[in-house]
Amino acid sequence: MINFSLDLNEQKTLWQRWVYNARNNPDREAIVHWVAGEEPFRWNYKKLIDTARKYSAFIKAAGVEKDQVCAIIIRHNPFFYPIYLGVSRTGALPAVLAYPNPRLHPDKFRQGIEGMSQRSGLHYILTERELEPLITPLVEKPGSTIKKILFPLEWALDNEIDYKIDSEIEAVSNSIFSTEPVLLQHSSGTTGLQKPVMLSHLAINRHITALGKALKLTPEDKIVNWLPLYHDFGLIAAFLIPLTLGVPTVHMDPFQWVIAPVILLEAITKEKGTITCLPNFAYNIMADKIPDEELRGIDLSSVRTVLNGSEPIRHYSHQRFVDRFSKYGLKPNVLACVYGMAEITMALVVTELGKPITELVVDRNELAKGILKFADEYSVKRYCVSSGRLIEGCKAKVVDENKNELSTGSVGEFVVSSQSMFDGYRNYPEKTAEVLKEGWFLSGDYGFIYNDEFFVIGRKKDIIIVAGKNIYPEDIEDAVNQAQGVIPGRVIAFGQDDETMGTELVSVVAETKVETEAEKNKVRMAVLRAGMSIDVNISKVYLVPPRWLIKSSAGKPSRKANKERLIEGTDPSVWSR
Amino acid sequence: MISPELKKVILEQLNLDDFDIQDETIAPQVPGWDSLNHINIILAVEKHFGVKFKSIELLRLKCVGELQKLVDSKLGK
Repeated sequence: MINFSLDLNEQKTLWQRWVYNARNNPDREAIVHWVAGEEPFRWNYKKLIDTARKYSAFIKAAGVEKDQVCAIIIRHNPFFYPIYLGVSRTGALPAVLAYPNPRLHPDKFRQGIEGMSQRSGLHYILTERELEPLITPLVEKPGSTIKKILFPLEWALDNEIDYKIDSEIEAVSNSIFSTEPVLLQHSSGTTGLQKPVMLSHLAINRHITALGKALKLTPEDKIVNWLPLYHDFGLIAAFLIPLTLGVPTVHMDPFQWVIAPVILLEAITKEKGTITCLPNFAYNIMADKIPDEELRGIDLSSVRTVLNGSEPIRHYSHQRFVDRFSKYGLKPNVLACVYGMAEITMALVVTELGKPITELVVDRNELAKGILKFADEYSVKRYCVSSGRLIEGCKAKVVDENKNELSTGSVGEFVVSSQSMFDGYRNYPEKTAEVLKEGWFLSGDYGFIYNDEFFVIGRKKDIIIVAGKNIYPEDIEDAVNQAQGVIPGRVIAFGQDDETMGTELVSVVAETKVETEAEKNKVRMAVLRAGMSIDVNISKVYLVPPRWLIKSSAGKPSRKANKERLIEGTDPSVWSR
Repeated sequence: MISPELKKVILEQLNLDDFDIQDETIAPQVPGWDSLNHINIILAVEKHFGVKFKSIELLRLKCVGELQKLVDSKLGK
């Protein structure tokens, strides 16, 4: 049994809870680092904590102090975990960032880091030697907040830890209050749109209890995870919660999973995994893209929960997943859903485990008008999948544009309150004030509540979610504005639902003066390359003549109006590919 | 060297008319060839050539030239 009633005054920091686990269950498996085709690297709690202590000494010796921000940019590596824990022990704030994809332009990568540095006051970057030439110019730049680049994978761990440094760190670590920040979560983005979410030990500890209970975690569970740890779904649900509650987790490389998705099923089979977390698109990939021959020997009978979160949940994705894997032992009632946001640590609602997920078949056209009406024989149907009921310590309501609470069944914006609420965006009080009103967080997500269950149907913000990754259209538009043949400032980007892939794909519409087919193809290539420079794959390009785009009242091209016009219309002046 | 046949399958899958694909070309250099699309390209190559790749073989691929070699080895070339 997991003790969910630990005294959080005794175990006030995450580090203390990890040490508690190491003392009480030193040999218990904590993390299994999985690499396809190799023997996994296994961390038990004692080894993990001992190694984290050594890293903390190096980190302290490098000059890192309490409350300073340490970005960790490291690929799938067994020593990532003790490095993360080591940073936390010193009282510094770890922030996991994505390792740059080769397609990302070096300037755009630097711009992203610089934006974070200006916003959250990034102090140290813990990374791999390969990134040194890329990051060094940022450190040397006048006025940079970044003090140093550290290469922890090169540190020699053979020596005994320096007693004096260790005592100093221990003293600092013990002096941390539960209300002090423990980590930063950065949203994606390259044009300064990133919002560093600041979370305290108390918020995370409370969330660990609330979500741990909602997921009915036990020591017999084993989570198998491919989600990247720079994403809150991966970091909170698949790393911090199980590590703190003593539930072993198998971590695999997201890049390996996407190339060979069957490795998740192999790991579940070999390790007898009980829980895995997947964004919606992954259900489609797993169901449709793995050949039968690869599934020989796969046994999913140990799985008790497959948790869908971080992008809109689709009825057909679930159906295809169960249809495909039931013959491999997958039980139909293992599917579950979660909805939440980094600003409340992660989860707001979760569906009841082991029970069928509620799905409502509603009239799509009425829903678009904000009215919940069950479908009849004349309706264009839409399946709305429940994201679940509130977890412990969370409150939520649906409000209209004037922030007036709406009755059950009405469509509006979710505003939420939680015992595990963030402490604001770091160094960004104006943005915090925009979204936090009298203790309520304005989620920007639209939906309705029916029988206490939450149904998310859309977003107020224009964020595009591709395979669980949030992309700001502004970033894409900025990049595409530079593309040759495109009229600057006359570009919009938006997400288009793709049922086959089970996610949104990025579309761009740009005004251009070119007229011939060959010229338009050239402009399209320039647009695609502009997307590549910020590591965004543009799936569809619409080219339109000058002054085609509808402007919003603010004088900028309106994403919503133009998207609707493009999808509905049959304007012969629109070229697309 | 990349065969015109393999290049054609890749370009068709990516909806591109032409692109300079060499042995050393890596996926992120080709417009549209992202991690999400990778699996579609692999499935298209498998279907076109009537071959099957093992996941471990796919994980070892570093560039298009290696994909070409893998296809060739499956076809007994």
